[in-house]
Parts: sequence; structure tokens; C-alpha cells
Amino acid sequence: MTLADRIASYRDLIEKWLHGLYHGMVEGPAFELIEKEAEDTDDVFMLACFADAFGIPSPISYYTAELLPYLADEFAGWERRLWDRGTLVERKGQQYHF
Amino acid sequence: MEKFVFFGGKGGVGKTTVSSAYALKCAREGLATLVVSTDPAHSTSDVFDQPFGDEPRPVEGHDGLDAMEIDPDEAVDDHLMETKRALADQVSPAMVNEIDKQIELAHQTPGAYEAALFDRFIDVMENADEYDRVVFDTAPTGGALRLLSLPEFLEDWIDRLIEKRTTSIDLYERAAIGDREARRQLDDDPIIARLRERKEMFEFAGRTLREEATFYLVLNPDELSIRETDDALADLAEYGLDVGGLVVNRLTPEPDDDEHGRGGTYLRERCATERERVARIHEKFAQPVVATIETRVEEVKGDLLDEVAAELEIAAVATASEQ
Repeated sequence: MTLADRIASYRDLIEKWLHGLYHGMVEGPAFELIEKEAEDTDDVFMLACFADAFGIPSPISYYTAELLPYLADEFAGWERRLWDRGTLVERKGQQYHF
Repeated sequence: MEKFVFFGGKGGVGKTTVSSAYALKCAREGLATLVVSTDPAHSTSDVFDQPFGDEPRPVEGHDGLDAMEIDPDEAVDDHLMETKRALADQVSPAMVNEIDKQIELAHQTPGAYEAALFDRFIDVMENADEYDRVVFDTAPTGGALRLLSLPEFLEDWIDRLIEKRTTSIDLYERAAIGDREARRQLDDDPIIARLRERKEMFEFAGRTLREEATFYLVLNPDELSIRETDDALADLAEYGLDVGGLVVNRLTPEPDDDEHGRGGTYLRERCATERERVARIHEKFAQPVVATIETRVEEVKGDLLDEVAAELEIAAVATASEQ
């Protein structure tokens, strides 16, 4: 193995580690952060659509019911999230990896 | 005269009689006319002495006149079945049960009945090409006005939903860093497409009501219905809807001068009170009184309907050429 090869493989290793570090510290959390935010917005949307699932009468649940076939997967997840979400602090805290 | 004419007012003032008489008058003057009852307690059938259903059908004995009675219950059922069918197509059987409950629930809320009535009513307006005039006999004031305020309200609501959905999809797209595929994409989102479709429907209803409809309020010469008319006029003005005039129904016939028995005296006093109230109606409301109709001895049906129609000073055909 020539010196050049050894340097190259060493650089590969460093690059891999750096990328891993970058992903762990910046990319991953950022991705999670945005996706959580998206989920939160989604939850507000779902609540506006299906408030009657929680006993709040909604004047347009008749119309939003026709969205349910397309929202079925999200709907179950949403219900689960709402029931499980202990506190807002807990939910917001999940994005920090202590 | 606009294509869509609505008769509204307090319960029991004779909206059905007046709207049927008006529809008959339009038909007599050569307009293809449809009379639509949106009152859950339909009585158009009683006026014409024949049954009507959820689809327009010709009124026997009167040429150029069709009638229908909207049945929202049927519309609610149809909507329920259709949604369930879409559910079965889209979702795995395991999921169906969970969502099914929610769909059933949405169809049992009090709003469902109203929404279905509203849908049918838009449907009628959309498919009224073959008619020159469509006369709506509406439910008593409260319900009817709520119905008419729906387009604006629902448009706002849908706007909010579309905005929320767009934001969340946008975030999902941004969260898709690198080669990751976004969990959702804006272009082919069936939810936004659906919501837009609904929004267009509401816009059509709002536009048609503001631009192509005239409202007439029917009232009796009594305090309660005068007060309710006042409220109704304020509400209609708030929704930007145009009121063409007032119809005062159920006036007491005046006795002859030589009648002084108990009945005669009663009628004379009753007439004096009513005359004072009619004068107040003239003075209080900016809208013209387009007809004053006396109480008949019998129910207004058959030939009597023609008589009442003749008393209506609402032009049926005057501006038919404008359309």
C-alpha cells in the first residue's frame, strides 16, 4: 500500500466520521425539528377537521368526513398522539437530545 | 326580476301559500317555473293536493309548473354511503373499523342535516338551466337565514384548513433533507384538491345568492311577526342579500257597514288594529309592501290559489327579456 493510498483511506475515514458527526449534531436534529413542527401543524389541521372526535361539535364535520378515507392513516396516528401527549414541554423537549 | 326568488318569514305566516301562488303566477305568464320547498315540514303537496318528492316533477293541472320537496335525510344517507365506499377503496380493512365510527358520528351531528340541505339547495341552483324562474319556499326565518349565511362562513373555514394543510406539507417537503422523499407532496394531495372543490361550490352559492336572487319576506299583521321581520331584514342586509319586498298575509276581511252583531263588532275592531299595524309596516320598513292578502274562509288551494296569485303585485314577467 502506497503512502498516497493510506492517506486516501485515512481521509475517507475522517470524512465518514465528520459526516456522521454533522448528521448527528446538525442534520438529524434539524430534520426532526422540522418534521415535528410539520406534525404539530398537521395536528392543528386535524383538530380543526375532526373536533367532534373529542366531543366538540363542528359545523363542517359533515364535509370533512369525506376527507377521512384519505386521512385514515394520519387520523389514527393523530388520535394516538393527542391522547399520549403528556405536556407541551414534554413534546417540545423531545427534540433536544440530552 | 331575478331568476331565484326566495320567500321567507316567521313560521305559520303562509310562506308556502304565497310562494305557491307566486310560482303559479309565473307559470301562467309563460315562464318555466320550479317551486322548491326547503322546509322540513313540507306543505307544498297539500297546497297542490298531490305528492312531490326529492326530484322536480310537473304539477298536474298547471302547465309550465314543476315542484319538488327537498329531503335532506336521503342526502345524508347518500353522503354517508359514498364516504364509506371511498373508505373501503382507500384503506386496509383493519383500519376501516376505526375510521368508520368517526364517519358515522359526523353524519349524526345536527350540522349534517343542515349541510345536506345546503348541498341539495346548491344542486338545485346549479341544475336550474331549464327553468326561467325558481321559487324557494324556505324554512322559518331562523333556519333559512342560517342556511344563507353558510357560504361565507364555510368559505372562511375551508380557507383556514387549506392554509394549515399547505403549511404542514411545505414543512414536510423541507424536512426531506438530501435524498429523502417527502412524506407528503403539495401537487398531488387529495385533501387540498377536495377542499378546493368544496370551496368552489360555496363560492358559487354565495355569488348566486348575492347576484341572482331576490328575497321576499311574508308577515302577518301582528307584533311578533313584525318584530321577526325586522330582525330578518337586518340579517339579510348583513349578508349582502337583496330584499325585494314584503307580503302582508292573513288580513281580516272588513265587515259591511250594516253589520253590528257580535261578529261584526269583533271584525271591525280587529280590522282597525290591523290597519294601524299595516300602516306601521309601511312606515317602519324601507322595503315596499308588494301584496296584502286577506284571510280566506277555506285553506288556500285550487282556484283560491289563482285568486291569491292575482293579488301579488310582484312582477313575474316584466323583466323576463332581461335574462
